[in-house]
Amino acid sequence: MTTQNVVEVSDLSVDLLTKGGALRPVDRVSFAVGRGETLAVVGESGSGKTVMNFAPLGLMPVGVAVQISGSFRIGGVEIAGMAENRLRHIRGRSVGVIFQDPMSALNPLRRIGRQIAEVAERQRGLTTMQAERQAEDLLALVGMSDPAQRMKQYPHELSGGLRQRAMIASAIAGEPPLLIADEPTTALDVTIQAQILALLQSLQKKLNMGIVLITHDMGVVASMAHRVAVMYAGRIVEFGDVADVLVTPRHPYTLGLVNAIPREEDLSGSPFRGIPGLPPTMGAPVEACAFAPRCDVVMPVCRTRRPPLQALPQSSVLVACPVGIAQAGQRP
Amino acid sequence: MTPVLNVSNLTTRFKSRERNKWITAVDDVSIQIGAGEIVGLVGESGCGKSSLGRTIVGLERQQQGHVVLDGTDLASLSGRALRERRRAIQYIFQDPYASLSEWQTVGETLTESFVIAQKVSPDQYDARATRLLDQVGLPTQMKDRFPRELSGGQRQRVAIARALAVEPSVLICDEPVSALDLSIRAQVMNLFLDLRRDLGLGILFIAHDLALVRQAATRVNVMYLGRIVEEGTSEQVHRHARHPYTRALLASVPQADPRIAARKGFVTLAGEIPSPVNPPSGCRFHTRCPLVQDICTRVPPPVQGEGGHRFACHFRFADEVLDQIHQGYVHAG
Repeated sequence: MTTQNVVEVSDLSVDLLTKGGALRPVDRVSFAVGRGETLAVVGESGSGKTVMNFAPLGLMPVGVAVQISGSFRIGGVEIAGMAENRLRHIRGRSVGVIFQDPMSALNPLRRIGRQIAEVAERQRGLTTMQAERQAEDLLALVGMSDPAQRMKQYPHELSGGLRQRAMIASAIAGEPPLLIADEPTTALDVTIQAQILALLQSLQKKLNMGIVLITHDMGVVASMAHRVAVMYAGRIVEFGDVADVLVTPRHPYTLGLVNAIPREEDLSGSPFRGIPGLPPTMGAPVEACAFAPRCDVVMPVCRTRRPPLQALPQSSVLVACPVGIAQAGQRP
Repeated sequence: MTPVLNVSNLTTRFKSRERNKWITAVDDVSIQIGAGEIVGLVGESGCGKSSLGRTIVGLERQQQGHVVLDGTDLASLSGRALRERRRAIQYIFQDPYASLSEWQTVGETLTESFVIAQKVSPDQYDARATRLLDQVGLPTQMKDRFPRELSGGQRQRVAIARALAVEPSVLICDEPVSALDLSIRAQVMNLFLDLRRDLGLGILFIAHDLALVRQAATRVNVMYLGRIVEEGTSEQVHRHARHPYTRALLASVPQADPRIAARKGFVTLAGEIPSPVNPPSGCRFHTRCPLVQDICTRVPPPVQGEGGHRFACHFRFADEVLDQIHQGYVHAG
């Protein structure tokens, strides 16, 4: 069982050491993703969904002091706390990364083809000629017309959608078994988003990759992912099969997110449904449910104790809410 | 109903930087907005929807057409008179981080607007600021805060309060909630609905999020390469769209219900929006249209329709044909 998981995370915490004290953007999370499987991680800004995946890979902004505890294994190899010179071999070979903004990932001064070929050379030991051929194949694979011509272009000569395709090509050039995609379509139009999501799905089938898809769009979750982790204030508050979590949300926060999606039957001019209050600001870890101040079914215990993530009986779902658990017991 | 804002045959051109050619960003566009009405404007990036909004408010220069505000044609005014009149149209930007001065407190930002508008006397500034903050759902203490101390949603509320400080009759909102978190979006959207009702504001709501526009707006315009290709009530455009582009746009939105999403897959429209430097001949959508015919490549389509529902297409496709676009038409681009 464990050998099939491309990534296994257990009890992972990330602390940022700042002048104002320690912040904990990620607080004791655990999850795993198998080959060919897509896990969506949803949450709002500051929920820790990006830091959870990027900090262990050494992809934090320069100058941020990060302390990682717990375990983050990719293909059975522990990378939590690994030194940068070793992480460099993990990134690209064991895990490909797709960022929201392709311009931040592509080198503006180098041709597209060279950047992709370089990954294949470094990570797979191909010769320059082999790698160039491989890069051209990859550009065709990600749906770019006239790949030979594209090879010679610079990132700024491409549209947002094409840049995203070029970045995907470079992310999969090392043939990694795991792909981490951080809001890969947020900056794109819905029409181009559909193209990129369809591309990721077909690449996943072809290469049998596990995908961690970080997003805030429930539409993207529903159409792409098999399982979903809902994060709030650095913790996973609900986890399970997409078909269970999105159809019957158990955590009040998940319920709020799902309810906030405009529905077909909402009339023009009718009020929008949201979640009252403000998202939490990052701070020191709290011994309470972080959602309690915004929760409409809050109980006294929620304000004093962190609700554990518990499995629901006869279900794929884990939920960190005593009310969600109790309700699930009442209507199985 | 006399519209508070009547835009007719508006055309905006830019000189393109690289090839020194003219780009027609907005091409002969007409839009009416009534008092207390929210009108939606949707389309892909590069379709000219922001250029249209920016031209209406005077951030871009129009080449042709008229912007009539409360019965006054802005083209008949110039200099100071134009600037003062135009203040009745206020722009809300997508990014509240960029649109507020980081050196001014919220109170100072509002006071500056009072001074410019000269609609209230200085001894009333404080009381008016308090009332504006209350109107946008912010506590009075916010007056002493700097933008960096506020969340994204709070900043957008301050930007809205600043726009209201000059007592406008029209708001142009350009992707006003795209930068906000999902749970906060609804709060700001409801604020727009309240302002429209309580102050009788006309609002042009520019967005790429079709579901949001459907619920907020009474009428919706769909724009493609500088032109309006379909317009109608929110219901007409979303449930009975007649233009293949509108259908494709609607079909591209991923469904949040996994029971529907799993069945549907991804409906992809071929390619990307073409460059406005060299727009396609005939119908501008013909290069991507799944239902393209020979005539579309040569002849610009006529505008047809009735009952306020108009669309620019040579054909009047049956629902069964248009529905095929929703059922997963994949076009090899």
